[in-house]
Amino acid sequence: MLYACVYATILLGFFGILLKENLVMKIIAMDVMSTGVIALFVLVAAGGGRFTPIFIDGPQRDYADPVPQAVILTAIVIGFSIQALMLVGVMKLARDNPTLETRAIEEEYRP
Amino acid sequence: MTLWTILWIALPFLVGFSIYLLPGRDRILGRIFDGRNLALAIALVSTAYAVGLFWQPAPLELHLLDSFGVTLMADSPSAFFILTNALVTAAVVLYCWPSGKSSFFYTQVILLHGSVNAAFICADLISLYVALEVISITAFLLIAYPNSHRSLWVAMRYLFISNTAMLFYLMGTAMVYRTHQTFAFTGLQGAPYEAIALIFVALLAKGGIFVSGLWLPLTHSEAESPVSALLSGVVVKAGVFPLVRCALMVEELAPVVRVFGVTAALFGVLYALVETDAKRVLACSTLSQLGWVLAVPEAAGLYVLAHGLGKAALFLTVGNLPSRDLGLLRQQPMETNLWMPLMLGSLSISGLPLLAGFSAKTLLLKQALPWQSLALNGAAVGTATLYAKFVFLPHQSSEKPERWTAKLGLWMALALLLGALFILNLGYLDAYTGSSIVKTLLLIGAGFLIHELLIQRITLVLPRQMEDFEHLVGGMSLMLVVLFWMTWSWLA
Repeated sequence: MLYACVYATILLGFFGILLKENLVMKIIAMDVMSTGVIALFVLVAAGGGRFTPIFIDGPQRDYADPVPQAVILTAIVIGFSIQALMLVGVMKLARDNPTLETRAIEEEYRP
Repeated sequence: MTLWTILWIALPFLVGFSIYLLPGRDRILGRIFDGRNLALAIALVSTAYAVGLFWQPAPLELHLLDSFGVTLMADSPSAFFILTNALVTAAVVLYCWPSGKSSFFYTQVILLHGSVNAAFICADLISLYVALEVISITAFLLIAYPNSHRSLWVAMRYLFISNTAMLFYLMGTAMVYRTHQTFAFTGLQGAPYEAIALIFVALLAKGGIFVSGLWLPLTHSEAESPVSALLSGVVVKAGVFPLVRCALMVEELAPVVRVFGVTAALFGVLYALVETDAKRVLACSTLSQLGWVLAVPEAAGLYVLAHGLGKAALFLTVGNLPSRDLGLLRQQPMETNLWMPLMLGSLSISGLPLLAGFSAKTLLLKQALPWQSLALNGAAVGTATLYAKFVFLPHQSSEKPERWTAKLGLWMALALLLGALFILNLGYLDAYTGSSIVKTLLLIGAGFLIHELLIQRITLVLPRQMEDFEHLVGGMSLMLVVLFWMTWSWLA
């Protein structure tokens, strides 16, 4: 069930990238998609248990796999920086194309 | 060698990020530690490392502690890719030497060089992900360097496509980890089909293969010529290399990679034949040459080296021609000293003997499977046809005294690239057998003939709709369906 929700989020994000006309909306849709991917990693990590992996005296409990979480931390930082970079680009483009319609921008800058 | 590998991989990032801490060009120390000096030094270090790697008897493997499959693997295919990267970067730095680019530009060049190197020695999905994302960001900054709105849009388009592709890639990686608890490439064996399809769709898009690579012509032709040389010479190969390595490590995946290689080789040639803009012809030819690399993964190394050097030389030369329009170039003769490198680069990629392109192409065709041979020979004729567009351009020698000194950077870069093409060729003398020489000459002759009789006389304009931003994203989803079908029906 949770997996279905996560995949639905990713799919919705992708459709947003595909169908939205406005460049800012596209970037937001991409953010939705990457949120879905992050959730997928968290879900994979929680496959074996949900406890924080801290070494304690006494019996070990089922802990969450720290590896996918460590990996997705890197991916979050990278995704965030790319999004920031693209928004800066959009701010600059908006001076010439206030509507930010992808199709119009494409027409204008085609050689 | 282990220590050297770690030092070599860390060096570009260390230098790239600390350039801003160094004194400016007006101080003596600043003149020594100038961006271009550092970039050139790093390219030389990489060359030395790649040459050292060739003498290494066994592949060098570095595993991260504990068993998540995070691995660096340096072997002889990586050595070829790293050498390509080093030589092309050195040539681009030499080309930009007199042009007064800011140290920001060289920072990006150094970081790009380092991340491409990292992509060339990693053997697991996560290191590759990080390397590819750093490549996207630095390539974005390099394309947008002229700071015009148009270059910014071209760069954003590139970043958007590649980031969407990388999100698919991450999804696939999560699925592989769920199945095998490892990130190593070998984990693809027995991974769910959808995971393989997702990872491949991303790598095909990053590597500019077949339909998913249609972002490439516009990006590579609209960037400045040194940046185009870098993009076409090495950056796209960072997407191709993991596919080659997967095909070599996991046997089941090799047929998928080979089929995409052959289709891309033919598709790119057809696309390039109808183009009339010099830089677009070169960019479309990259589409086709990348297909060659994938078609025969065993022979990929030398081919990448030959193509990278030749294509970089061509992009740098074309950037200095009076016009980009081939129709205009056909009417007004160019200077002979510009035509010479143009001809040598074209002939090397077409595979003429005495240049490295010949050895690469002959060795590759020798290892091709029977069903591939016909298609690849057809693509070779097509390649010769499209480069005939450059070879048969009119030229006249100019008597201007400053014709050599005016573009010093260009001549230094070309001397490096073309010299390397000659020297490499000497290392593979066993490719020179009577039959192979005759065969290549026949293929090239056929190509030139087709150009003279057919291509020069007809003009055909292909619609460029497929290259629109939205269609590129849509094409990615279609590719995903095709790949899923392929893995599902072939691997089952």
